[in-house]
Amino acid sequence: MRRRLVTVLLAVITAILVIPAGAVADDQGGETLNGQIRKPETVEGIDITVYQGSEEIGTATTGPDGEWEVEVPGPGAYRVVLDQESVPDEYVVSERPGPEHDEVQVREGQQRTVIFNLARPGEEEGGSSASPSEPAQEAAEEEPAQGEGTPEGVTTAPGVSSATPFGTKVVQLTVAGISFGLVIAISAIGLSLIFGTTRMINFAHGDMVTFGAMMALLFSTGATFNDVPLVVAALIAVVLGALLGIGLERFLWRPLRRRNVALIQMFIVSIGVALILRHLLLVGFGGNRERYDEYQLQEMIRLGPVGVTPRELTIICLSVLVLVAVAAMLQFTRIGKAMRAVADNRDLAESSGIDVDRVTLYVWGLGGGLSALGGVFYGLSQSVYWQMGFHLLLLMFAAVILGGLGTAYGAMVGGLVIGLVAQLSTLWFPSELMNAWALAIMIVVLLVRPQGILGRRERVG
Amino acid sequence: MSGNPEQERPSGVEAAVEAQHVREEVLERAGTAPAGDPRDHLVFADELVAGYVPEVNILNGCTLTLDEGEVVGIIGPNGAGKSTLIKTIFGLIPVRSGGLSLRGESIANLAAHELVSRGVGYVPQTQNVFPTLTVEENLQMGAYLRPKSFAARFDAVAELFPLLAQRRRQKAGALSGGERQMVAMGRALMMEPSVLLLDEPTAGLSPIYQEEVFQRVKQINATGVSVIMVEQNARRCLQICDRGYVLDQGRNAYTGTGRELLEDPNVVELYLGTLAKSA
Ligand SMILES: Nc1ncnc2c1ncn2[C@@H]1O[C@H](COP(=O)(O)OP(=O)(O)OP(=O)(O)O)[C@@H](O)[C@H]1O
Ligand SMILES: [Mg+2]
Repeated sequence: MRRRLVTVLLAVITAILVIPAGAVADDQGGETLNGQIRKPETVEGIDITVYQGSEEIGTATTGPDGEWEVEVPGPGAYRVVLDQESVPDEYVVSERPGPEHDEVQVREGQQRTVIFNLARPGEEEGGSSASPSEPAQEAAEEEPAQGEGTPEGVTTAPGVSSATPFGTKVVQLTVAGISFGLVIAISAIGLSLIFGTTRMINFAHGDMVTFGAMMALLFSTGATFNDVPLVVAALIAVVLGALLGIGLERFLWRPLRRRNVALIQMFIVSIGVALILRHLLLVGFGGNRERYDEYQLQEMIRLGPVGVTPRELTIICLSVLVLVAVAAMLQFTRIGKAMRAVADNRDLAESSGIDVDRVTLYVWGLGGGLSALGGVFYGLSQSVYWQMGFHLLLLMFAAVILGGLGTAYGAMVGGLVIGLVAQLSTLWFPSELMNAWALAIMIVVLLVRPQGILGRRERVG
Repeated sequence: MSGNPEQERPSGVEAAVEAQHVREEVLERAGTAPAGDPRDHLVFADELVAGYVPEVNILNGCTLTLDEGEVVGIIGPNGAGKSTLIKTIFGLIPVRSGGLSLRGESIANLAAHELVSRGVGYVPQTQNVFPTLTVEENLQMGAYLRPKSFAARFDAVAELFPLLAQRRRQKAGALSGGERQMVAMGRALMMEPSVLLLDEPTAGLSPIYQEEVFQRVKQINATGVSVIMVEQNARRCLQICDRGYVLDQGRNAYTGTGRELLEDPNVVELYLGTLAKSA
């Protein structure tokens, strides 16, 4: 029974792998060059001009927060020049990276960040003589706006470029993999628990992730609810995600179960729910990649050889906290034990006096809330777009199967493994293949341990 | 050599066919048992009709009563509907027609968890523990509706099954079949039920374990719990039962005290003898 389900899942995953290839085509263009003058502080009124060859593409002047943006006609190489005339007298342009960037490569759909630094006239000599290369290095480490031009579904790691030494790269990618894996784990717990308690594969789980990310976007950056801090917006998103899960269970899945609809039909219905939800979000929010306003441009904190942005570090810490809290809830509380019991044996749970429908409702609430949180984290470290959860779904399936179907702890372990494998594979292989490697590892593990890492072998007799 | 037994006795096939005739005759007569008053019995199932698939009835009018303090056994060939009867009483399968009451109150089509809160415990035939939960957690699930009483009930149940206290922290899925049966019965006893439904508690156990289970059932019964048990080991079951029901094709074939059934030549020949196995 379980074997067959796994096979069905694998087939589905293969299908998902094929779909994005077509989906990449609907690219949005919208390439820009942008940046923020903020060293030593944000400066207003600085003119920046973008050229392609000798032709002037556009000019921008920094706003009160030091930010500027120039739209460019398409991918290609550009020259970006800071007009020294416009710099107020109390500043000079830093020698590194200087007032001009040549050959700035813009990829398809990329919103590329270009960095200029100012300095106070006296201080620059002192700074550069102490460590001439430092400003340049800092500039290089200032995070580029990644994710924008990357192929659909590929997750980029900050601070890694082809010039980074191998050892540093390993550590850097491990950090990125842990962070990515934790996000997968958080999102996938619900998927696994829902499968465990109802034996249903919720194809719409990825779009519940997108839903969370977009709700946080709506409340934190939308004109309607202007200026809600992202932290608050994220909490609202989690609550809404939980309500979405509860609503789906109460008004769709429970009635279907009552009518004894077979699992395979429920699975098809969940594909329908996924499509409806995804396209509602597309209509509501558009097809662009967006970012949260807050926590975007951040300097890396150096921890030995590892550079990590405070944002990434916060995501990792919060994810670990959330996972520990969920595990403690499952392990020690009455409702948590009931969730595990229902996942173990639904009929016996019913026979023990557990109100199985109520427990299932809580599982959907928990799963919906967690997937929304995963969506906010994923959107923070990458970007928010209408297919983000759908692209993550593939990896969530892999995590859930790898860890052992139906157990929450399995989803956690599986998520971490998948995230690490996906990121570390880019050490040797093109990043477009990272998801394929994650799935390859899943297949290998299943060949050795068909029940998954933490799964339980079906016992006969 | 091989032909010898067939010359002395009718062939296995003929005997089976003959047995089938007798069974059908019996079933013709059955189903006309006088219906009592639900209030006279602890559990009263009257002409129950139930089944899994629409249009296909597995129970075709089963009648069963359980009185306070009794142990009632249900025996019958494989597929007779014994498990189905127990599941129907426990509300896991909807009643299509017929009456079902507990202490005179109708319990037809109540959800299982509501029956648990009314003092009915059920141990399924298979998959009767939560394998990834520890023994203790299994028992906690048994006391789910009354978490405060857990400690006291655990001590009481552990007195009956000392093994449960020893294996407290072990995963139930890692236990042997007999040990799991004890976890399963322990779990069902956590709510201090007044009616215990056991579906083949000795299936797959070694003779020693089987006898142990029978002894425990008698012990449980002695504490005031009324028991309905389905058994493959029909002879032993009828020995410890106050009354027994022989079920065949979803109908009552024979009803009587354990001793009466054990001594009834038809029951012996059709359901207790060697023929019962081939039929
Ligand atoms: N879940 C189910 N769905 C459909 N039919 C079922 C189901 N369970 C049992 N049946 C059918 O109901 C009939 C009676 O089954 P039941 O389990 O009640 O028999 P039983 O008397 O308990 O047999 P055994 O001694 O083998 O346990 C069988 O013909 C079986 O095929
Ligand atoms: Mg049975």
